[in-house]
Amino acid sequence: MHTSIQRIQQTFSQASTVLSIIAAIVFVVSYIQLVVANVWSLPEANFNLRGSKAARRFSRQYGANDPKKGKENVALKFDLDADLSPLFNWNTKLVFAYLTATYDGKRDDIVNEITIWDQIITDKDDSHIKLKGANSKYSLYDVEESFRNRNATVKLHWNIQPHVGAKIYGSLDATKGSIKFPQLV
Amino acid sequence: MVNFGAQSIRQTLVQLLGFAAIFTSSYMFYKGLSIVANSESPLVVVLSGSMEPAYQRGDVLLLWNRQKHVDVGEVVVYNIDGRTTPIVHRVLRSHASDNKQLLLTKGDNNAVDDVSFYGGRNQYLDREKEVVGVVKGYLPLVGYITILLAENQYFKYGLLGITGLLAFIQGE
Repeated sequence: MHTSIQRIQQTFSQASTVLSIIAAIVFVVSYIQLVVANVWSLPEANFNLRGSKAARRFSRQYGANDPKKGKENVALKFDLDADLSPLFNWNTKLVFAYLTATYDGKRDDIVNEITIWDQIITDKDDSHIKLKGANSKYSLYDVEESFRNRNATVKLHWNIQPHVGAKIYGSLDATKGSIKFPQLV
Repeated sequence: MVNFGAQSIRQTLVQLLGFAAIFTSSYMFYKGLSIVANSESPLVVVLSGSMEPAYQRGDVLLLWNRQKHVDVGEVVVYNIDGRTTPIVHRVLRSHASDNKQLLLTKGDNNAVDDVSFYGGRNQYLDREKEVVGVVKGYLPLVGYITILLAENQYFKYGLLGITGLLAFIQGE
């Protein structure tokens, strides 16, 4: 004898088992396709820094914890050209592309990484990034008072958000990706 | 129908035991996942639209909290003292040393970063203290039932009523 509750339970558990198996297959197949497309060794991104300038800002939104002292903020102007179209297949919901600068801290064990620019790409047709004279999307400031003229390495990272499955990460090295933060004058 | 004979009591008890087994095994599964992922809440249902279009309301996120440092671009769930609901946002900046990591986060769909959420004059999140987990896996929509249960009275009581009614008219 089966009660209605038992029938509902059976149907529900059957459905969830089948759905999770399908989800797993979808993810594994799409992941293998990414491996075949060799997305972890895409060609370098063409990056070119056109200019940079530093200014003192006084609002908390610009990292100034002490409104009297303010904080050094840096803005960059750059070109960027990178083709991310191999990241798109049938399980790619969107690609989050982001340009970061990595630089050393006060001590040897400190690593800083800050986002300069990012973009959500939902369509393969928009996946070739071509920026000319773009401004940094975020005002750049350090955890310290100033960037102190340090050198930084620029990289273009990507992150695939799948329709179902695990998030996938990777990055492209940038040509001329070695930059120097400007001095506050 | 309802019959208070000895047989029926035994059957009711067996049924109750069945329910208890289902409840405890799902609880054990959740707690087991919690230990494996090292996160107090390894599964999270998205409640706001601040990460659209990546995550919509009702999507389920699988969290992992065994990595020491979080990378820029990863999506974290963080919980700040004094706030009731955890927030799912992307890491915009990281300042990491051997024993501490400071993070700045932002929702993909928000215009500004999260500095105003951090409370007091905090400019950064503390990875150790405030991050509950890093989003690793994604299942669309399946969490929507919990939103319906929590926010829709008709759905909640309708479901309760139907289960109760079925249990009552089909005691066998």
